[in-house]
Amino acid sequence: MTLADIFVAFCFLLGGAAAFFTAFHPNILYAAISLIGSLVAVAGLYGALGADFLAAAQLIIYVGGILIVILFAVMMSEDIYKRRFFEGAKKYIFPVLAAALVFGGLAKVTLDADWSVATKPDFEPTARAMGWALVGPYALVFQYVVVLLAGLIGAVIIARPATKMQKFTDDEGDN
Amino acid sequence: MAGLATHLPAYLIFSLVLFSFGLVAALARRSAIGIFMGVELMLNGAALNFVAFQALRKGVIANDNWLHGHIFSLFIIILAAIEAAVALAIVLRVFGTRQTIDADRSDELRG
Repeated sequence: MTLADIFVAFCFLLGGAAAFFTAFHPNILYAAISLIGSLVAVAGLYGALGADFLAAAQLIIYVGGILIVILFAVMMSEDIYKRRFFEGAKKYIFPVLAAALVFGGLAKVTLDADWSVATKPDFEPTARAMGWALVGPYALVFQYVVVLLAGLIGAVIIARPATKMQKFTDDEGDN
Repeated sequence: MAGLATHLPAYLIFSLVLFSFGLVAALARRSAIGIFMGVELMLNGAALNFVAFQALRKGVIANDNWLHGHIFSLFIIILAAIEAAVALAIVLRVFGTRQTIDADRSDELRG
């Protein structure tokens, strides 16, 4: 067992346990914090697979950006410190069944398939190749990242404080 | 456990675990934030699949050096960033109008 194997096994354990807590922890704040474990584990696996640029992007964008946004939103959640495990337990039955069905089916397909032609991950820097790919075969797709701008403008418009007219209609709708 | 780092099914099963837990969170959570975290978990599982195939099946799927799997994962990360911004905006708006982000209680559009 090499060091890489130990590292990958550690990432599997960390990510799996953190994902479990994200799905099942009754306290939404701890669920959000344990999401960090999953995201960091995926970043570590990117590194183990030789995707250095993606590992850095995962850490910066997901762990640094998106998770801050999530934690900020969690702080507004009214039931942060209310544990409601028992009243919510019934709600988990059907989702767990559905997820178990998906897991079983896909795991069977994965394990039955023939993966004998596996190659070793190479550890060359990937940033240069990805940059050329973004202005090469993926140039058109890269242009569509303009939706980032559209999405951010839309987010600002949605999150803006309500105007008088909107407040009036909202009050009406609450009856 | 020898050769785990180059064992493709291990990565696939792990991303399947992430996807399944994300599915549970997205379906079962009451808070809109919990649903959003489940979606993030599912996106991460799918993105890890792309990179694992790119690294461990190189030359089998595509025989060039364009790193297709990495590019797809990068787009997934970009879209997740947009999604986070829009989701937080919607959560802010819903919280501002009805003082709760419980997805089960925001049911005005139910038929």
